Amino acid sequence: MKSNTYRTNIAVMSAFTAVLAFAAPQAFAAGSHGGGHDKAMSIGKPGKTANVGRTISVVMQDNFYEPENLTVTAGETIRFVIKNTGDLVHEFNIGTAPMHAAHQKEMAMMVEHGMLEPDKINRDVKMSGMAGMSGKMAMSHNDPNSVLLEPGKSAEIIWRFEKTTGLEFACNVPGHYESGMMGKIQIKPLKTSALELGK
Amino acid sequence: MRSHRPSFVFGALAVAGLLAATASVAEAGVYDLTVDPVVIDTGTFKKDGIGYNGASPGPVLRFTEGEDVTINVTNNLDESTSIHWHGLILPYQMDGVPTISYNGIKPGETFTYKFPVVQSGTYWFHSHSGFQEPDGAYGAIVIKPKKREPFRYDRYYVVQLTDKHPHSGARIMRNLKMMPDYYNRQQQTFGDFIDDAAKMGFAAALADRMAWGDMRMMAADVEDLQGFVPLINGKASAQNWTGIFKPGERVRLRFINSSAMTYFDIRIPGLEMTVVSADGNNVQPVKVDEFRIAVAETYDVIIRPKEDRAYTIFAASMGRSAYGRATLAPRPGMTADVPKLKKRPLLTMADMGMDHSMMSGMGGMDKKAMDHSKMPGMDMKGMDHSKMPGMGMKGMAAKADPFYASGSGLTPAAADGGRFLSYKDLRAQKPRYQHRKAMREIEMRLTGNMERYVWSVNGKKYADAEPVRLQFGERVRFKFVNETMMSHPMHLHGMWSILDVGAGKWNPVKHTVSVAPGTTVFMETEVDAPGQWAFHCHLAYHAAAGMFRKVIVEGGEKSAALTTR
Repeated sequence: MKSNTYRTNIAVMSAFTAVLAFAAPQAFAAGSHGGGHDKAMSIGKPGKTANVGRTISVVMQDNFYEPENLTVTAGETIRFVIKNTGDLVHEFNIGTAPMHAAHQKEMAMMVEHGMLEPDKINRDVKMSGMAGMSGKMAMSHNDPNSVLLEPGKSAEIIWRFEKTTGLEFACNVPGHYESGMMGKIQIKPLKTSALELGK
Repeated sequence: MRSHRPSFVFGALAVAGLLAATASVAEAGVYDLTVDPVVIDTGTFKKDGIGYNGASPGPVLRFTEGEDVTINVTNNLDESTSIHWHGLILPYQMDGVPTISYNGIKPGETFTYKFPVVQSGTYWFHSHSGFQEPDGAYGAIVIKPKKREPFRYDRYYVVQLTDKHPHSGARIMRNLKMMPDYYNRQQQTFGDFIDDAAKMGFAAALADRMAWGDMRMMAADVEDLQGFVPLINGKASAQNWTGIFKPGERVRLRFINSSAMTYFDIRIPGLEMTVVSADGNNVQPVKVDEFRIAVAETYDVIIRPKEDRAYTIFAASMGRSAYGRATLAPRPGMTADVPKLKKRPLLTMADMGMDHSMMSGMGGMDKKAMDHSKMPGMDMKGMDHSKMPGMGMKGMAAKADPFYASGSGLTPAAADGGRFLSYKDLRAQKPRYQHRKAMREIEMRLTGNMERYVWSVNGKKYADAEPVRLQFGERVRFKFVNETMMSHPMHLHGMWSILDVGAGKWNPVKHTVSVAPGTTVFMETEVDAPGQWAFHCHLAYHAAAGMFRKVIVEGGEKSAALTTR
């Protein structure tokens, strides 16, 4: 799986963004995604295998997901098995709309720098001018809420959801989100029993 | 207009020598079109014209991929007519070009078109007889795909543009032949000359005018037909065609340029557009702020207006002599601001196809031609991107557009800043053909003599030229060299035009390829459709003046059924 996946790192990319002085306010919002200090902003966190209650298969095609939307319960830990059956590179990324918007700019930059072609990810391309950071370095950071897959590749994400509104899963390859490759994650309120189980 | 007759179809296209390999249950729609004299009301003038089913534009024909269509076309005019299904892949006898596909449809007659719909997307149809198309004989085609689309939207609208002129097509052609600058209202005047003489010196200003005179062109020849009223879905700016949306919805706009002569630059202030299709073929989505649509092209964009307010669809003619306007709004009757037209662009020496070294001997000429700051219509904000350290997101869109001559007065820039779509941004969503090397190259120099209003290919007009002969099964590479100072939207019937944007297998597949002045553009064609076809500049008066060829595909009649996609 390691060779198949390219985990993009929002925090690191956002740092580049700031250095490059075209930081959008969203980029900072994106930076806080993993922490969950602020309940309203939390998108959940990486889950533990032992707590996985359910597995959801997500098939990425050109350019859409199956299923198109997801419903989960707050406190639930889900194993996502994500397969790219299309002919193009796609991403599965859990976040809010502003986080996705910020990430789309970063992905556009990856395309501009030749790191991302329609059907492949060039891991060795340097992000020229980016304060000496190379694509390789960006790659070495594992960002648990997203996975970027070449055609035919699969990956897994284990994610524990919390009570959040406005959560979406999305592909931020340029133009894909805008043309509809995104879905809503509806989070049902957690029941007391579920809360106990989740802990 | 339409009746569904689900039926077994056994080789419905015997007429084309095609046999369906297997019998299958197919949708089979029957459509009836009448070709009628109509009155076109632009608000500023009313004009007798030609329409379909009593109106211009005609109806939107809605087909489904895989359907076998039967279209009965009845000619209610007192002259012959024809309908060409622009961009549709079909047997050549159904292609609707008089003298090439068939003999046309005589007054009072009904011709029945029958063909399988083998593709999906946005297309259009129009008369291929005389000047009936500029006179109003056009409509839209929307084909639903068999499989789901590679994008999502909540609703769609056809946005069909045209350039309605108060003169009939025949009269325009007569006038252009007599006096090629008859409709050029933007000619540089003696006053402009005095201004230039003050700026650049008398001798330089004189040399400039003499150089243009030698080319038999004028710098203001961006549009050789002015005085038209742009219409969107048949409505002038004041008549304001309006499409309704609910805030937050994704709306697919299917832009079709059915103009006789006019390219448009299209934007929707306040909204980004994601281009998802070009000439009916899906492309990998590209986010833009503005795009140029050549005559006969189609582009589908997805927008997502989130605010509860109106938005203006603004379509400025490339020469900035006029604009079309329409509105998208949550409720009827709402309007948004309508931008002002920017200053008209002037052609430069680059558009003459002269390289810079040649210009150095021309005493001050080069400066005028090359100084971008003097080029009206060039948004300097757009140009500044190249000076950014290569990192800004906006900088990405600012690389020189290889589809315009370096220093061209026509190079577009987004009026409100941001990204302007270029051909180089287009990538096929799903390659239609296996990528392979072309077997041979065919050069097509686009030539003309503006003073006599003669337009030609390789210096020969249609009447004097031999047909282009292609062999079934080969892949040919067409090299367009534009030696004129006008843009030419080249349209090959019957087979796809794979535009070389340098992306190999991802090169976009089109039916109309615009070639800007002073540029060389390549496209490749998989010769997979037997028969004979038209290949021409889609500017109505250029095609009529001779920038037109017949293409004959030799061989392959028997294997057609296996290869037609």
